[in-house]
Amino acid sequence: MEQKQSNSPASFIDSTVVPGDVVLDLSSMTNQTVKLGGGLRQDCDAISAMKAGTLRFSKPNKYWVESSQKRYVPCVEDTVLGIVVDSKADNFLIDVKGPAVGFLPVLAFEGGTRRNIPKFEVGTLLYLRVVKANFGMNPELSCTDAGGKAAEFGPLKDGYMFETSTGLSRKLLSSPTCPVLEALGKKLSFEIAVGLNGRVWVNAASPDTIVVVANAIMNSESLSGAQQIIMVEHLLKSIQ
Amino acid sequence: MITERERAMEVDREDGRTQNQLRPLACSRNILHRAHGSASWSQGDTEVFAAVYGRKAGTRKNENPEKAWIEVIWKPKTGQIGKLEKEYEMILKGTLQSICILTVNPNSTTSIIIQVVNDDGAVLPSAINAACVALVDAGIPMKHLAVAICCCAPKSGYVILDPTKLEEQKIKAFAYLVFPNSVHSVLPEGSLMDDYFYCLERGCAESVKLSDFLRSLKQHPTDSSKAG
Repeated sequence: MEQKQSNSPASFIDSTVVPGDVVLDLSSMTNQTVKLGGGLRQDCDAISAMKAGTLRFSKPNKYWVESSQKRYVPCVEDTVLGIVVDSKADNFLIDVKGPAVGFLPVLAFEGGTRRNIPKFEVGTLLYLRVVKANFGMNPELSCTDAGGKAAEFGPLKDGYMFETSTGLSRKLLSSPTCPVLEALGKKLSFEIAVGLNGRVWVNAASPDTIVVVANAIMNSESLSGAQQIIMVEHLLKSIQ
Repeated sequence: MITERERAMEVDREDGRTQNQLRPLACSRNILHRAHGSASWSQGDTEVFAAVYGRKAGTRKNENPEKAWIEVIWKPKTGQIGKLEKEYEMILKGTLQSICILTVNPNSTTSIIIQVVNDDGAVLPSAINAACVALVDAGIPMKHLAVAICCCAPKSGYVILDPTKLEEQKIKAFAYLVFPNSVHSVLPEGSLMDDYFYCLERGCAESVKLSDFLRSLKQHPTDSSKAG
């Protein structure tokens, strides 16, 4: 039976919702602007969840469902790690783990002109920013920030890339720093790039360090903060 | 009529269940590494795996490009794919099309593959439940969850829920009911008319339990959940 609970929204915030749960009843909230994020849709007067996850609220009026998937839904201003699939006259075709291939215009680099088009081989890993993302169209990407500067976007050399879920990528990028990264950073030195599409790239001086960092991150998905720190200490002890 | 049914409730089923009791449920999410969403669902000895490969660009020719397209592939435990499997595929496709929101990602194909691991009766409702959990695991937007249950009417005239394979072979008619909004997949074979509304009533009540079970699944991300 459909669980229609039009209680006050406070009862659903930070709790798990499944598709079909009515989380907001607009008929009782007049003259208020409500901003809906991902995972929610409007059905006449009721706001119901489309995805299963945790309902989050941020003042003054933003609601969204936080969920973690293996595939990525492109959003504007996300930073992602893409792999070059093909190159055409005007665009590079980039795979970003989304429903459609992304386009990277050949001129979307700092100081890019028709004369100095970069040559990327198929399989190159790039750190990119999503410029346009509409459903039904291929997302458009760029190797510059909003002001046109390079800002560390571009190809990533050496290192090791592995795939995670989108939820874990968001945790790694949250501030304050994720416990697993903090614990690893105290003992090891490494470089890391996290894409919101569920890809993580790690580089360090020695392969052992890279493997330890990658395993620690992959194991930390279902652990709480304290458990993550214990897990990292355990891993570091075993290699020393 | 109702009192007759109530008296007949103390019926003996082979495995000792009461008339309205479901078999033990077990479910796991995210079991397949490569699939975008996956689930396994078992009711008693019947076990079904579902894998979802979400949203690839393009639909088949002559299909509406403004909506997403759902493709279902049913793989039986043994034997070749025949008419029965194609029928199950069509029913599943209709059910899933009604619960997924098709306009969010137009011109895309979602593939769902059902693998029957063990068939001990009520395999189509188990497949619907497994497909629903796999779709949630893959993050495909849905209007609501689907809960499927099998009711059947053996010769004595009353209604029992969730039959095993042995019981299925003896009965005269059965119906698969999918909730929550209205009945979507109904396969009546034989005369089920009188018992139809009673089926609906019992099915509704049991589907509340199944819904609660599905909801509790979300709290344990990758573990398996069991319910008696």
